[in-house]
This record gives sequence, C-alpha cells and structure tokens, in this order.
Amino acid sequence: MAHAIWSGAINFGLVTIPVKLFTAVKTDDLSFNMLHKKDEGRIKYERVCSVDGKPVPWDEIVKGYEYEKGQYVLLTDEDFAKVNPEATQSVDIVEFVELDKISPMFFDKPYYLEPTKQGRHAYALLREALADSNRVAVARVVIRTKEYIAAVKPIGDALVLELMHWASEIVASDTLDLPGAEKLPEKEMQMARMLIDTMSVDEFEPQKFSNNYHDQLLTMIEARAAGKELPKAKKAPARSQVVNLMDVLAQSLEASKKRRSDANGKPAEAKRRKKTAA
Amino acid sequence: MSSKERSTVSVGAQTLSLSNLDKVLWPRDGYTKGDLIAYYRSVAAPAIAHLQDRPLTLQRYPNGIDGETFFEKQMPRGMPEWVERVTVPTPGGSRSEVTFPLCNDEPSLVYFANLAAIVLHVWTSRTQALDEPEFVLFDLDPGETCTLRTLATVTLAIRALLAEIGLKPLVKTTGGFGLHVVVPLAAGYSYETAKVFAEIVARHAAAELGELATLQRTIAKRPQTAVYIDYVQVGLGKTMVAPYSVRARDGAPVSTPLHWAEVEAFARRRSGVAPADEFAKLTIRTLPGRVKREGDLWGARAWKKQRLEGPSAKANRLWTERG
Repeated sequence: MAHAIWSGAINFGLVTIPVKLFTAVKTDDLSFNMLHKKDEGRIKYERVCSVDGKPVPWDEIVKGYEYEKGQYVLLTDEDFAKVNPEATQSVDIVEFVELDKISPMFFDKPYYLEPTKQGRHAYALLREALADSNRVAVARVVIRTKEYIAAVKPIGDALVLELMHWASEIVASDTLDLPGAEKLPEKEMQMARMLIDTMSVDEFEPQKFSNNYHDQLLTMIEARAAGKELPKAKKAPARSQVVNLMDVLAQSLEASKKRRSDANGKPAEAKRRKKTAA
Repeated sequence: MSSKERSTVSVGAQTLSLSNLDKVLWPRDGYTKGDLIAYYRSVAAPAIAHLQDRPLTLQRYPNGIDGETFFEKQMPRGMPEWVERVTVPTPGGSRSEVTFPLCNDEPSLVYFANLAAIVLHVWTSRTQALDEPEFVLFDLDPGETCTLRTLATVTLAIRALLAEIGLKPLVKTTGGFGLHVVVPLAAGYSYETAKVFAEIVARHAAAELGELATLQRTIAKRPQTAVYIDYVQVGLGKTMVAPYSVRARDGAPVSTPLHWAEVEAFARRRSGVAPADEFAKLTIRTLPGRVKREGDLWGARAWKKQRLEGPSAKANRLWTERG
C-alpha cells in the first residue's frame, strides 16, 4: 500500500487509538498540459501585476480578501497562523449516530484508517462495537491546517474515515420547483414499481460500469503516442465480460466467410501508385 | 568526410544523396546515422520482406534519441517519386484520405534511414487487402519490476494455450522490454474476428495465469511485477514495430524474431534478470551476424498461415467448460 498521508490518533472517552490515514479513492481523470499549437511549447503562467503590468516575484505577493468592491483586507502568513485550528493530529469523536440518520449528501471523501501496532486491539474493539450497534462515529478532524467534520464507519475489516461537508456547504433543494406526490394514479404507480422490480439486482456491482469516456480518451492518446491513425469515433462499444465472446467470434467468423464468398475471393484493394519509370 | 557534407551512394536502381552520416544518434553508444543506414542495409532482405506493401509510419529522431521525435503519419512532402506509396480512405477522419509510404525496396529503406527514421511502425495488413489482418497479435509488456522469467513464463503459457487449440504462434522481441506473439492468419479474416479471437485467448490466459498477467489497460493500476497482455493492438490503422526495426533506446536494440527455444531458456533464468538485460544483446551491432547465422526466423518457412474456424470451436469446447 502507498504511504500514509497523515498519522495521528482517534480519541474517544479515555481511549486513544494511534492510526494512519490512507487514500481510499483515487480519480481516473486524465490531466492535460496546455501547449502552443505551433511548436508544442508548454504554456507558462506568469504572475503579472494589473497596475504596473510587470511580473511579480513570490516574496512581493500577499493575500487579500475583497470585503467590498475594490477594497481589500490584507492578511499575512502570521495572521493565518493565529486562527489556524490547533494541529491536534487527532480524530476527536464527538458522538455516535445510526448511519442512515446522516444524509448521504454530507459524505465527501473516504480515507482508510490503519492502526499502528499499539492501536490494534482498541481499533478492533471500536470497529466491532460500531458494527454491532449499527452506528457511526461523528468526529472533528484536523488534517494539515484545515478542520473537518467526519464520520468513522466500519467497512469490512477497516475503519473508514469519511470527510463530510459542513451543514453550511449543503445547498437546500427547496428553491427548486419540484412536483409533490398527490394525484398519482395507483395503476401508473404499479407499472413503475413493476419496471423497477424487473430492473432490480441483488447486489450493486460497480465493476459492471466502466468509464467509457476515459477509456476511449486513453485509447486515443495511446494510439497517437504510438503514431497510429486514430480509431473512428465509436458509439459506446464496451464489450464487457457480460457478453459471450465465443458467440461474437462465431458470428464474426460467419461474417468473414460470407464476405469471402460474396467477394469471390477478391478482397478490397486500396489505390496504390507505383512508379514505372525510374 | 565532414558531417555537413553529402555523399552519394548507389542503392539498387537509385542514386541517393545522404547527409550528415557522422551525426551521432545514440550519444552514449556513439552510433551514427551512418551506422543506422549500414544496419538497415545489412538486414535489408528480411526487413523488407516484413515491410513490403504494409502502410508505414516513420518515427524520426533528427537530433538523436535524446532529441525530439515525430511520427510521419502520412507521406512526407518531397519524397522521391520512386518511393512507393498507398492512399487509404479514412472514413470519419479529418481528411478523406491519407497517403502512406511503403518500404518495398532497399533504396526506400536507405532513404528512410537517412531521414533518421529509427523506428519503423507498420500496419498488420498489406495493400492487397488492407482490411484483412495478416496475424493475431499479442503485445506482452512486462511491468517495471517484472522479471525475464515471468515474461517468458507468460509467453510460453500463451503459446501452450494456442497449441492446445491447434495454433502455432511466432515470437519476437519488441525491441523494448516486451515480446510480440503472433499467429499468422490465412486470408479472409476481418479485423473484428482477429480482435475478438485475441480477446478470448487473452482473457483465458489471464484467468489461468493469475497474478503473473494482467489485462488492466491503465498503466497505474497494473501490478508492476506482472505482464500486461495487450490484445487490442490489432485493428484497421493500428501499427506494430516491424521485425528488424531499431528502437530509440540506449544500445540501439532491435525488434528481433526469436526461436521458441530461446524463450524457453529465458524461463529457466534466475529471477534477478530483467527483460532489458537480455534484450540489450540484440542490437544493430549483433543483428547482422545473427541474421546471417539464423536466417529470418519469421521467414516464409516459419510463417504458416492458419485458419481460425477449428481452433475457435476447440476453444469454445475446452475453455468455456473449464471457466
């Protein structure tokens, strides 16, 4: 596993469990550089002052908060340090709550917690107790210099720390114009329920879903990098394990056979120019 | 001769004006453009046999292997009239058709080498039937810490699976760290057929090989000790590094056809040996002697064009029951 991004302790009551924090999700996104089309030079950013139009070195740059149009309050590094939450390096458990009492919208980003050697016993204890009581812990966490609210959940053998949004970050849906539940004919409801039943699965299998846009983009990049002509844009192809490849092969062989007999053994030939005189 | 001078040579029916023959393309080995041209001339016969009538993409390194490289994805302007070419329609592309050079004779090969075209990428079909691949290709790409032994084991396992359904593959180095395994095909199969067939073999092989092999396309997600079985390199317009093509790496390694016995010997090597250690022995310096001694291991005698109907039926019988 990758190295820990943080190490600290879970505190609850009088118990302290030393833990390390590991990434639990990573993004598949491709990152691109901006280049000058003509010569593929990398585009550089320059910090330029809007007053004198000259580039500004880092040591002359300060942060300002625009409290009124054109009016700034300047803050120095010391100012930021003063209000920094104490870097307690801890997951302070505040309370426990049943998982489904927290709206899923609050959950932002999960991390794995791994106990250090001394913490193994208490870690297992907390995990099993949470699982038994079907509750999660709500905690205050400081990572680097920022404070977060987070949930600690038992998932399999792991405790997962899931950073949450602050209540003030959640946008309410009541400004939207949404239909109520009145006047829905029972017959239509039955139809809708039936449709849901027929499309229902027992388990959610995320591996069934692949990121086609990402895969195709990557294929295209790899093809370009190897100097290949690009594949034509295809309509969402995605042959997955679900399709029986043997059937596809049999069909394809049949098509090839048919093509051979249709063409009477004369395959398509491209235009080709050959110089006759030297 | 000073490096700026041009020199005139006769190759076959043509007279070529070559430039900067002393230009060093491999700075750590001291190999020059003249060495590159001399190499390609010394293996011209087998190299051209595999380049013949296949649309060609030149990968040029005008300032050597440390400098910038670019792909000639279409016929560069100013190529002499006598260099043969093929025009291919590109449905859906930005241009309606693209012209590729062909390397059908020694003068063309020398001409390309003089452009510092170190790496030659070819289509898997020929102008006579551009929509019919001539082989099924498995590109076996070892992870960063994968050993030669693992690479050879995976390669031999794929050979055994193919043998189990009645097919005889051939093998070559890519010139990089990996191996190419190909099954030469009889005429008349579509790219679609070749692709689906390759996928079936690759999936079955990966299932049998467990942690030794991976089908994961995203490099970051591949286990670094495993071999990536790439079965998607066959398709209209997709290319392969041609047999006997040089690579732009230190030592000037060459994509070299191998005896299966050589791969079997790799599988017995101790585990500390990396693929690159072994393949570094196959270079523009050693290949001329090897080719003289061994002949073209992918030549007409070894290149058995095979049909897929029987093997497919066998695979369906043997592999679907098991898995």
